[in-house]
Amino acid sequence: MTLKLSAEGYGVIALFIATLLLAVAMPDAPNQVSPSGTILFAGVLVFLLAAFLASLYFHPKESQAVSDIFLLIAILAPLWEIAFGKLSLLDPLLFPGPARVFAVFGNDYELMLQGLVSSLALLGAGYALALATAIPIGLYLGWRKRLFNVAYPLAKAISPIPPTAYLPYTIVLLPSFASASIFLIFISAFWPILIGAVYGVFSIDYRLINSAKTLGISEKDMIKKVLFPGALPSIFSGAMIAFILSFITLTVAEMLAATSGLGWYIQYNHDFANYDKVVAGIILVAVVVIVLMYFFDRIQSYCLRWQTP
Amino acid sequence: MATIDLKDISMVYGLNGTSHTALDTVSVHISDGDFIALIGPSGCGKSTIIDIVSGLKKPTGGEVLIDNVPVTGPGTDRGTVFQDYSLFPWMTVFENIRFALEHTEGAALKGTIDTDAQKYIDLVGLGKFRDAYPNTLSGGMRQRVSIARMFSMDPKVFLMDEPFGALDSLNRIYMQDLLLHLWAQGEKQKTVLFVTHDVDEALLLSDRIAVMSPSPGKIKEIIDIPFARPRCRKTLAASAEYIELKSHLLSILYCEMLDDIERQEQKLTGSETAA
Repeated sequence: MTLKLSAEGYGVIALFIATLLLAVAMPDAPNQVSPSGTILFAGVLVFLLAAFLASLYFHPKESQAVSDIFLLIAILAPLWEIAFGKLSLLDPLLFPGPARVFAVFGNDYELMLQGLVSSLALLGAGYALALATAIPIGLYLGWRKRLFNVAYPLAKAISPIPPTAYLPYTIVLLPSFASASIFLIFISAFWPILIGAVYGVFSIDYRLINSAKTLGISEKDMIKKVLFPGALPSIFSGAMIAFILSFITLTVAEMLAATSGLGWYIQYNHDFANYDKVVAGIILVAVVVIVLMYFFDRIQSYCLRWQTP
Repeated sequence: MATIDLKDISMVYGLNGTSHTALDTVSVHISDGDFIALIGPSGCGKSTIIDIVSGLKKPTGGEVLIDNVPVTGPGTDRGTVFQDYSLFPWMTVFENIRFALEHTEGAALKGTIDTDAQKYIDLVGLGKFRDAYPNTLSGGMRQRVSIARMFSMDPKVFLMDEPFGALDSLNRIYMQDLLLHLWAQGEKQKTVLFVTHDVDEALLLSDRIAVMSPSPGKIKEIIDIPFARPRCRKTLAASAEYIELKSHLLSILYCEMLDDIERQEQKLTGSETAA
């Protein structure tokens, strides 16, 4: 298999190399100098270039989309470097250049890693709790129309309340910040998954359910082996929204009340006007979301491999 | 050893105060090992009969007896094949058959679920597609899996609701031959209730044909099909008896259809004059 490059592909490579040379060779503005940051930024550029070539190689069918996405990054990176890093066009405190931002990763990586671990632990616990409760409840509500008719008006009233509105009470009522934020993440993820499961059951062709009934299966097997897999496509789309919502809730909760975590890291440095650290924190959050989404997609396409290609 | 008795089955649907009679006192006795075809125009309640015998719907009047035991709900003593919705799309061919076998007593007790499932997949010639998902198979292949599933469950009776209705004519011929072959192969022949709207299909497959008429759905006539088995499609179609039976069947169905059109026309002109 050979690597075939389009015009955009060559453009991406040229832009990355040009940015690399620019970052290393051209002196930074006096208030943006950071030798370690420059080295890290250069390292990131090399990594992105390698990632670009690797994804072209392993996903030749999606080369168009891959090229377009990387082209966007390859255009924005030098603009950032020139405007803020080299020329310092805007307020240098509020708009740090790449060298200073990436220097943060070198200096603060321990704190960031710690924050990442604590954030993911909260997110994982709350999200898993939501999956474990919302899916069975949703499947059962979808199956028992009468129960659904009772639960639906209630759910419609409660579900739009933003989870962070509960924050004051959860902090007072629950013993620790961790349990309070797990509860909030659970609430944010619960409704979309529940709705996904209920409508997933509704969307199953009744003829399939009839076919299952003629096999004389028990209600337990009906829910586990027929309704659950049949509703899974819809559960996944609910779970995707739930994931985004719970991530937002997590960072907001951390900004308000935590002592560690990704959201806390951004808020804490904002309080001290360390905008280079704020930008670094935002980049970290973005990378974490991209990585988690990637795994989410992989799990989804594996679980739904039976769908029409 | 399985008989099906439909005793005065009625099915009335209530719709906003008005009621619609889908089936009106339908009675049929199907003796053991009999292959009976239900034929009639759409809307005559053929599929409703299958739903009632399979236990999916409860009739508003009368009862169904299988081996003189009343039907109270779905069960694995009846194997059902629908037009194109029998298989679960999230299970492979093998998993679909295994899932059905897990819920039948015979194979589950003997502990031969996996070998039985494999045997029936091979029997319908889908050995290579054991791990394929239904969505990747053609309609004909999917129906072969449904039939393999029905035979593997070894039920007392087979209920088939236009199983080949969605197939092209070549596939249909192949499936009819496969069904007859498998049906004749067993130690004892199963009792079959087969719904179709295809006169040739009914004549080729069945021992008796019950012709139904719509609104309200009732059985108009039951015709014995005297041809010896195994039947050969070619010689059968050329025989005078076949042609006679076919034209008789067509005339019943056709006359029913003409009546229906006439009735509709009357309704239309009636409503016009009323307006």
